[in-house]
Amino acid sequence: MLTRLLVYFAYFLKTSTRYQNAKHFFRRLLVLPQSRPKAYFDVFMIVMVVISVFLQLDEVQHQAQPWHGVFEACIVWLFIIEYLLRAWLHNDSHQIVLDHYERSEYLEIPFKVHKVLKAIAVKKIEYVLSPPALVDLLAILPSYRPLRFLRVFLIFRLFKLFRYIDSIKLFTQILSNKRFELYTLAVFLGLLIFIGSTAIFLFENPESGGHVNDLFDAFYLAVVTMSTVGYGDIAPETPGGRLVVMGLIFAGLGILSFFTSIIVSAFNDRANDLRENQVYAELGRHEEIVIICGFGRVGMHIAHQLARHRQPFVVIDKVEHHVANARRLGYLAIHGDASKNEVLAKAGINRNASAILCTTGDDVSNVYITLTGRQLNPAIRIISRAYQPNNVRKLYQAGANHVIEPFEIAGMVAAEYVGQPVAFDAIVGIMHEEKEFVLDTVHAHPNSSIINKKIAEIDFDHSKLMLVGVISSHPPHLKQNESYQMQDRHFYFNPKSYFEVQAGDQLVVLGKQIGIEYFRYQIEKSRLKIGRKR
Amino acid sequence: MKKIAVFGDPRMALEALARFDKETCVAVYAAQNRHDAEFIGAQGFASEVVDFRDDGALHAFGIGVDIDYLFCFFAADSDNVFLTISARTLDKNLSIIATVDDPDSAEKLSAAGANKIIDPYEITGRKTYEMLTKPEITHILDQSVHRRHTLNIAEVEIPEGSWLENRKTSTLRLNERHNLILLGVVDRELGDRLHFVVGDKEHILNNRDVLVVMGPARDIKSFKEALIRTDTA
Repeated sequence: MLTRLLVYFAYFLKTSTRYQNAKHFFRRLLVLPQSRPKAYFDVFMIVMVVISVFLQLDEVQHQAQPWHGVFEACIVWLFIIEYLLRAWLHNDSHQIVLDHYERSEYLEIPFKVHKVLKAIAVKKIEYVLSPPALVDLLAILPSYRPLRFLRVFLIFRLFKLFRYIDSIKLFTQILSNKRFELYTLAVFLGLLIFIGSTAIFLFENPESGGHVNDLFDAFYLAVVTMSTVGYGDIAPETPGGRLVVMGLIFAGLGILSFFTSIIVSAFNDRANDLRENQVYAELGRHEEIVIICGFGRVGMHIAHQLARHRQPFVVIDKVEHHVANARRLGYLAIHGDASKNEVLAKAGINRNASAILCTTGDDVSNVYITLTGRQLNPAIRIISRAYQPNNVRKLYQAGANHVIEPFEIAGMVAAEYVGQPVAFDAIVGIMHEEKEFVLDTVHAHPNSSIINKKIAEIDFDHSKLMLVGVISSHPPHLKQNESYQMQDRHFYFNPKSYFEVQAGDQLVVLGKQIGIEYFRYQIEKSRLKIGRKR
Repeated sequence: MKKIAVFGDPRMALEALARFDKETCVAVYAAQNRHDAEFIGAQGFASEVVDFRDDGALHAFGIGVDIDYLFCFFAADSDNVFLTISARTLDKNLSIIATVDDPDSAEKLSAAGANKIIDPYEITGRKTYEMLTKPEITHILDQSVHRRHTLNIAEVEIPEGSWLENRKTSTLRLNERHNLILLGVVDRELGDRLHFVVGDKEHILNNRDVLVVMGPARDIKSFKEALIRTDTA
C-alpha cells in the first residue's frame, strides 16, 4: 500500500506541469547561473545580508531597536526558506523513487521502501554537508540571541555572500585550478617557517642574549619577516639571528613573487573564459538573438545591419583576429568553432537563438555548421552562404532554410543596372530602408477588425498605404485569385476588391514607416476592443 | 540594341549574362584565357579572349566603338581599376559597372571613372539580413525584380502622344484597369529621381516620364502596348 502510494505520488510529481513549472521557476531564481531572476535575487540577498550584518555589529555596542528584531526574524525566515528550497532543488527525489521502482519491475525483485528512503536521505545529506549548505546553515545561527557567542557565526553570514557574487565564485574557481602549485608553495612556505622559527629561537632566546621568549614569538618573527611587513616589536639581536632573518627576507620575497606569478598566470589562463562568461551572461539577458558564424566580410556587413537595427546577436569565429575585430567594434563575440555542439549550445541555440547565419568563406565549414545547428535545434532558421554553386544543394540537404550565393547576387544586381536602373535602385532603396518608403508586411491577427473584411472595406488611404498583395495559406483564396507560390503559402498580387482577409494572412503594403506603424496600431486597438466586448 | 562587354570572374559573368534581355542586348564575355572562354561558350554565350591590358585589343573588341556597357568583374581591385581607366580613356560615355573586393578601393574605382560600384560582400550581407528580418518581402521582390517568375517590376517610359500625357497619377488606377501596381514615377520636370506615388504625392505625367510598375509580365506587356493607343483612357 505504502509502495503504491509512494510510486503514485512520484509519478504525479513527474507529470505535474504545475510542480515542474514551480521547480523550474525556483531553479531559475536560485541556481541557473545566467538567468535574470537569479541576478535580481542575488542583488536582493546581498543587500539583506549586508544590512543584517551591520545591525548585528551595531548591537555589539548599542541597545537593539525593536524593529531590529523584526528585521532579523524576517532575514532568518528568508535564510531558512532559501536553505530548504536549495535542498529541494538539489535533486529530484521522485526520480529516485521511479528509478528504483522501474528497476524492481524490470528485474522482478521486491521494491524496498526503506532503501528508497535511504537513497533520498543520502542525497539530501550530501547537500546538507556540502560547504555552501553548511555556510547557509551557520549563517542562521547568529540570530539566536540567548547565546551571544553565536555572534561569531556572523562571519558565515558574510561567507554567504560568496553564493551571490559571481566574481568571488570565479576567483575561488581560478584558485582551485592552481591548487597543485599553491599546495606546493604552502608546503615549502611551511617548511621555511618551521626552519626559520626554530633557528630564530635557537639564536634569539633570552639565554643567548635575544628577546624571543618562546617558540611562538619565534614563529611570529619568522612570519612577520617573511611577509616583509616587519612591525619591529621583536627584532633580532644576535648576529646569528640577524643572518637567519636576512635569509628569511630573501626567501619571503621569492615566495611572494612566486605566489603573485601563480595568481597572474591563473587569471591569464582563464582570461578568455572570463570574457566568454561575460558574453554568455549578456546573451542570456536577451529574449531573442541571432548567431553569426564567421566574421569575414559578409559576416561583418550582417553584424553592422543587426547592430544598426539594435537586434542582439553574437559572433562565433575560430580565427582569433576576426574575433578581436568583432570585439573592437563592440560586438559580442566568442572565439570557437561553431561546428562544435558545445559552442552553439553555449551561444544559446536551444535557449533564445532565433536564427543561425553561416557566413564563413568555406563551404565545407558552412555545411558542417548548418548540419550541427539543425541537429541541435530542428526548428531554428538557418541561412547559409555558398561559395561554389554546386554546394547549394548540399547546404539545403544539411538543413539550411535559405542559401545565399554572393557571386550570383552580385551578377544579378549588375545585370539589373542595364535593364531598369531606376526600378532596381528604388527597390534596393526600399529594402535597405534608405528611402523614406518601405515595403513591409502587416499581420492580420485573429479577432482584429480586418478579419473577414473585403479589401475594398479596409481603409488603407487613411494610413497613406498602398496594398501590394496578401500572403495567405487560406485555401479558398486559390479558387478566385491568381497567386504565386511561396513555400507553404501563396502570394496574391493586387487582390480583387472582394478578397476577404483571413486570420493569419499578411498584408504586403508600401508606405512610410509611420503609416505602417499607425495601421498596425489600428489593428491592435481593434483587437482590444473586440476582446473587451466579448 | 545595347552592346555589353563583360570582363573578369567567369561565375559572376555567367550570372549577369544569363539575366540580360536577349531581345534588347548583345553581350560578349571577354575572357583572359582560353579555358574561361570555353567555359562561358559552353553555356551558350558569346566569348572571346581579350587582353584587358592592351588598349588596342580593347578597341578591337569594341570599347570606344560600339560597346555601351562594360562590366568589370575581376577579383583583384587593381585589375578593375586598370580596365576602368583604360575604357574611360577610350570612351567618355561608356557605362562602367565594376565590383570591388576591398571597400577602400571603391573611391579609386570612382576616380577611375566607374559609374556603378558593386560590393558583392556588402550585398550578400544585406541580403542575408533582409532574409532574416523580412523573409516574405525579400522573397517577393527577389522573384519579381530578378524575373524568376511571372511577377515583374518594370520601367515604362511614356511615349509622345500617349493617353497618359497630362494625366494625374491619382487618376490612373492601374491596379483596377491593368492589374498593375504603380510604385513610382520619374517626373522629368523634377529630375531623374524616382518619386513614390503613395499618399498625397501627385504628379502630372508628360512624355519621357517613367512609370515603375509591378505586375504579371503579360499585364506589363499589354500595358506597354496600350500606351500608344488613345482609346484606353
